[in-house]
Amino acid sequence: MRTWDVVVVGAGHAGIEAAMAAARMGSSVCVVTLSKDTIGQMPCNPAAGGIGKGHLIAELDALGGVQGWAVDRSGIQFRRLNASRGPAVWGPRAQCDKERYSELMRRLLVRTSGVSVIQGEAVGVVVKRGKVSGVRLAKGEEVPGRSVILTTGTFLGGVLHTGNDRRDGGRFGEAPSVGLGASLRNIGLELRRFKTGTPPRLHRDSLDYTRLETQEGDENPQPFSWRTRAVCNRAVCWVGRTPEAVREIIEENLDRSPLFGGQIDGVGPRYCPSIEDKVVRFPHHKEHTVFLEPETLTGPSMYVNGLSTSLPADIQERVVRAVPGFEKAVFLRYGYAVEYDVVAPKQVGHDLQVCEVPGLYLAGQILGTSGYEEAGALGLIAGVNAASSIQGTAGLRLGRDQAYIGVLVDDLVNREHREPYRMFTSRAEHRLMLGVDSASERLMGEGVRLGLVPSDVFHVEQQRWERRKTVAGALEAGVLVPNKANKEILLKNLGVELRTPTTWAGLLRRQDIDTCVAAGMAPGLAGLSAKDQGIIIGQLRYSGYIDRHARERSRVERLRHVPIPSDFSYQKVSGLSREVLEEMERVRPQTLAEAERLAGVTPAAMALIAGRLSSSERG
Amino acid sequence: MAKAFSSGLSSVLSGGADTIVARATAAGAGALAVIRVSGPETVRLAGVLCPEIDMGAPWRARVVRLQDGAGQFIEDAIAIPYRSPRSYTGEDMLELMVHGSPWIVETLVETVVSAGGRHATAGEFTQRAVANGKMDLVQAEAVHEVIQAETLWQARMAREQLHGALSKEFRVLKDKLILFLAEIEGSLDFEEQGAVVDYRALEQAREECEKGVEKLLDTVAVGVRVREGARIVIIGAPNSGKSTLFNTLLSRERAIVTETPGTTRDVLEADLEIAGLPVALVDTAGFREAKDPAEAEGIRRAEQEVSRADLVLELFSAGEGGRPVNQPQGERRLAIVSKMDLMDGAVENGLAISCVTGEGLDRLRKEIHLRISAPMGSMTGSVAVNARHSRALERARSHLDGISGLPLEVAALEVRSAAKILDELLGSVDDQEVLDAVFSTFCVGK
Repeated sequence: MRTWDVVVVGAGHAGIEAAMAAARMGSSVCVVTLSKDTIGQMPCNPAAGGIGKGHLIAELDALGGVQGWAVDRSGIQFRRLNASRGPAVWGPRAQCDKERYSELMRRLLVRTSGVSVIQGEAVGVVVKRGKVSGVRLAKGEEVPGRSVILTTGTFLGGVLHTGNDRRDGGRFGEAPSVGLGASLRNIGLELRRFKTGTPPRLHRDSLDYTRLETQEGDENPQPFSWRTRAVCNRAVCWVGRTPEAVREIIEENLDRSPLFGGQIDGVGPRYCPSIEDKVVRFPHHKEHTVFLEPETLTGPSMYVNGLSTSLPADIQERVVRAVPGFEKAVFLRYGYAVEYDVVAPKQVGHDLQVCEVPGLYLAGQILGTSGYEEAGALGLIAGVNAASSIQGTAGLRLGRDQAYIGVLVDDLVNREHREPYRMFTSRAEHRLMLGVDSASERLMGEGVRLGLVPSDVFHVEQQRWERRKTVAGALEAGVLVPNKANKEILLKNLGVELRTPTTWAGLLRRQDIDTCVAAGMAPGLAGLSAKDQGIIIGQLRYSGYIDRHARERSRVERLRHVPIPSDFSYQKVSGLSREVLEEMERVRPQTLAEAERLAGVTPAAMALIAGRLSSSERG
Repeated sequence: MAKAFSSGLSSVLSGGADTIVARATAAGAGALAVIRVSGPETVRLAGVLCPEIDMGAPWRARVVRLQDGAGQFIEDAIAIPYRSPRSYTGEDMLELMVHGSPWIVETLVETVVSAGGRHATAGEFTQRAVANGKMDLVQAEAVHEVIQAETLWQARMAREQLHGALSKEFRVLKDKLILFLAEIEGSLDFEEQGAVVDYRALEQAREECEKGVEKLLDTVAVGVRVREGARIVIIGAPNSGKSTLFNTLLSRERAIVTETPGTTRDVLEADLEIAGLPVALVDTAGFREAKDPAEAEGIRRAEQEVSRADLVLELFSAGEGGRPVNQPQGERRLAIVSKMDLMDGAVENGLAISCVTGEGLDRLRKEIHLRISAPMGSMTGSVAVNARHSRALERARSHLDGISGLPLEVAALEVRSAAKILDELLGSVDDQEVLDAVFSTFCVGK
């Protein structure tokens, strides 16, 4: 068999982005998947985006990733969460027809030139002379590759639990990947056990919608991707509440829950708890909210968001049927928990390459993340860096102040994780600067550099940014004098009493005016699209705070940004403990700030390193 | 916890991992002197100074033979070895108790330096203690204050601070800020799971934080009173008995002997401890009434003293016809009739004393104590913030001001900044200058 540039194991969200990115950068890519029929599945929530996750999709899209496009094309309802708040925390979200989504992704993948898809089970990573050289399949054949990206999702050593029913599986109805975990342990990787759960699926026709609240999409739904012109809403969701009776049912039967009964070792995410988790942790909550979401536009399967569980089937039936509206619910599938292996992410670098095994990359849930968006983002990073490494070009590494993707990678690599990692806006200390509306401005340039975004698209965007900047500048410069005419206009239209001269920018920053009306009146602003108007006003409202914090940060970060030369010899720093020495040499932090964040590095060690740095500078 | 106290410690940075040595006791001859050594080479250097020492049996006082670099006997002394991390600095340490001869001390220190050690800089031992997580920065400040304490309250407050009482207050406040932040972030990141913003909870959390900051800032006045003390100025017409009162008070209160080299005074000033607090007692007897321009200067000085004073004792001599003045006694002012033994009849109102008979003096003392210790009422526990703390708290407060009107994601930023300030207070500092400022006031050897 020929030697591929990149071999991607797994064709889920991470695998697809990795393969697409590497192929479009000119690498030859072979995707190894357990089944060609299950490419691009949405195994849990038939939705994408949200708060934090929506930011990841926007950034992925700006870099040239494909998830946003697929969400747009398969989206059946679009809502912007946190719409009433500032732009930095808007979370665009879409319900998708998951069959259409995976069909779109599958077709895209197999039709992309440079990508070949092989059906088979990878059971081992082949390492020769300390470098990766390919992947070994169950039947014994090898797929040779200069680099390997593992995106095995929840399949590594996967075990499914429904009550006492325990069976091997990576997902419902699918066999797990068995040999690969052992192979990774042999190379010296540390694995952990995580778990995640999924709710039951109910038959659409067996539910009483008169007892539920409707939830419609936004009036003017916005697409995720620059590739999409427009999107529309085609479906509705429903909201229900679990009554107190549910709490009692669960409490009585906790011993039959695999999680509380002790059969599951893995640690699950705290913020995506199963219903039994919620009942145990929030015993004072009488009700819990659940959302009923169609999995496809016309099909019968309804996903019950908020009722993730691994309780035995009969208990699930009692719980579900206690919810008003679900009394006659018919189960298409019961909820289950899946336990799986993850690789402790401190073993990879910021390029997602395994430090000990050059050429081996990890992306997606195998690194301990949770979510399609997190997986997609990591997949792109891994794919880009694998391809760049082979081509000898600069890869992609994003800072925490540049993108949520930067926060994601940095958090994974530098911190200890005991549970699946999911993106929240609170993880980003530079949140105000990282809103979804600035994703293309921040990142599209990189997408163009990598060849993943066409330059004509970029030029159009650039023109938009320039125009926005010009208008914003005019708003800051143009003074509104409190003469009779102006005072009248402002009082009449905005209810504002103009006493001192102000700028339009100053006016728009006020929280007590009708922004739409003001936008229509401000010079230059009225000529822009609603979206651009919103962006400018949002930036105006944040600018004071961003500036102030930037000043404070620079005062404090002087020391932290001291760069560490890549050939800095930690061996020569006397007094460093062995553990710290090894950690430093493995990770090779680029600044003192990065070094400080590594687990196990003490202040004393920091002082020693900093001292050595400054004295070697002084010669 | 050690990780909280971050990078940037000036002396340590510039020297790398040196082993430092210094005399820890005061300079000059004394019965005993203590020498300290701390750092990674302590074991080796101990071997140079006292070859028979067993660094493998630490935390025990033993008599050892001390010698210089050439092996010449210096003297027998008591040595206590410490092994990391159980020592003051957290590093290997050696403490020697020797006779207080300046020659002995110098020779020993130089022996260590010649063998590869380094003279410690001011406060360096304590800096290393902070770097190694043995104490936080607030406790470190207290080390200095414990040493310098001259009055009851200074000693008490410093001791409490050294034990972490003030640090605890800061941590409690920081926890409140984190709780507030959690409420905010919860309402920002969890809308899709049906979480609804609980504005009441947010408001409550904000109030808790504000109250916490105010409570600590209220102790500023106390801190000033305890650390810097109060000024009591005695004024009155010539011959109203000022100097007599001055001397009487002096004899009844504990005097503080301080070195204040090189100050010339036109007033008579003495340092006392009153009600456990340091007090400067000022007698303006030297100032005379203006009879000519030169003496107008004296009057001006007296007025200056009065404006600086925390308490003014104004004397009216009964013998000169000074009436029992029926003026309301102020917080800052006591009107006193002196020489009441020369008076007929009883005193109706006001304070009257006689330094000759002693009458009224107890009452006067009580009134003085009351006023001097008035600020102590707002103390929190037995700790009060100092200037560095109050500056930081004011910065934190400015982040919380007006936060109710801000968009939640901006409010989160402000609360985070406030919490960071609290971290810095405790020593998680990136700013070199802050650390230098704290430790530069220390003596060498501390």
